[in-house]
Amino acid sequence: MPKPLFDIRGIPSGRFLGLVLVIMIAVLAIRQMRKKELPFIRRVAAIDAIDDAVGRSTEMGRPVLVSYGIGDFSYSLIAALSILGHVSRICADTDTRLIVPTGGGHTSYLARELAVDIVRTQYVLAGKPEMFREDDMPFLSGEQYSYTAGYVGILVREHPGSVIMTGSHASEAMNIAETANLVGAITITSGTYVSNMAALACASDYIMLMDEQPAAGAYLSKDREQLATIRVQDIYKVLAMTLVVVGLILLNVFGSGFFLDLLST
Amino acid sequence: MSWLFKSKQVNLAVLVFFFLVGFVPYFFLMPQVDDAVNKLSLIAATTGQFTVAIAIYSQWRRSLRFIKEKRKGWAYHIYLLALMSGMTFIGFAWGKSHAAYIWLTSAIVTPLSSVAYGILAFYMFSALARAFRARSLKAAFLIVSGCIVLLYQAPLTGAYFPGIESYAVFLTDNFGMSLSRMFSIAIIIGGIILNIRMLTGRELAFLGFAREES
Repeated sequence: MPKPLFDIRGIPSGRFLGLVLVIMIAVLAIRQMRKKELPFIRRVAAIDAIDDAVGRSTEMGRPVLVSYGIGDFSYSLIAALSILGHVSRICADTDTRLIVPTGGGHTSYLARELAVDIVRTQYVLAGKPEMFREDDMPFLSGEQYSYTAGYVGILVREHPGSVIMTGSHASEAMNIAETANLVGAITITSGTYVSNMAALACASDYIMLMDEQPAAGAYLSKDREQLATIRVQDIYKVLAMTLVVVGLILLNVFGSGFFLDLLST
Repeated sequence: MSWLFKSKQVNLAVLVFFFLVGFVPYFFLMPQVDDAVNKLSLIAATTGQFTVAIAIYSQWRRSLRFIKEKRKGWAYHIYLLALMSGMTFIGFAWGKSHAAYIWLTSAIVTPLSSVAYGILAFYMFSALARAFRARSLKAAFLIVSGCIVLLYQAPLTGAYFPGIESYAVFLTDNFGMSLSRMFSIAIIIGGIILNIRMLTGRELAFLGFAREES
């Protein structure tokens, strides 16, 4: 049984120290990178493809269909709303019709209001408030598969040139991605659930995997400080991988449970 | 007064305050704050449910436009509006435990949802058919391991392919498990960094602030 390395009464010490460490590394790394050259950020094909997908729709004279998932308020919804804001701005600038099917979950009503507000703001900022059509952001249903049926219906009727499916979509993602493929739309999806990532990767033209979706807002912003946070994300990943590998070696080769004790602190 | 709600600083301050109220009790034992957080969550959830009315209004408006302009599939919208109104009326008048409400749910909503869910299998197959083309070494590995795991999951596999279980379990417990943990770690790290960006006011799109405004 792992034993905590130390204990401070009234405080889950390890969690607190972990939090302090996480914040310290983030703040120091971002400050450091602000002074230096822009950090190298690897290209993320799925995010780069967003602009091309909208361009394709514009050229074909077809609408762009974007959805932000059916999940609860979480990081994936927030990241999806950032992407929605980006796409709606391009659509407003290029006079491309944007359709955003909303709903799908019992908590999706509030998210819908946020999404409507975000898209309307982008049209106003583009100087084309009259082009914003709330009817193109229909609330389909609070039930997952009623929403799916409505979504698929829109795909079949409207024949969008591109479908950008972000946020947290569950099993209905396959129905949507495959129908999008059937109607000849370029499909960009994001895998939030580990269990449907493989299936979505098969069904989509591009997929945002793992931490790519939360990073999308920063990646698209091209802002120096936000790009630095993506770099910090990579530093954390290297730290996590190092911890796992060193912990495994310590435990299996030297029989030391130090890392287990550290993590249980 | 509207400047108050439009101000990025005010919105950010509210966000940080409620973040701290919800977050600090995770690290320090503060039962009073815990109670307050639970009540706040309940208030937020209840307030959020009022947006259902806006959602219903949005659906009504869209469906009426479909019917009025006789757009493709307009007749389905009559069906939709009739059922929606029926369920809303019965739900409000007699509650969700009334026989009519239960019938609507169990005889219409649930079977239709199940059909939509069942169709998923066909979509899975059509996607896999496109993906399972061994055009590279990686794709070939995918096909072989996919077939082994699929055969293991199928009924009567033990009778026809007795030795396959150990290979499938090896693939699932080693490659599958390690990949799923790697995905989880990366997703959590991405989420943490996104939260840091939000709390430092770098990413506020979800509050309705566009880049130009900030």
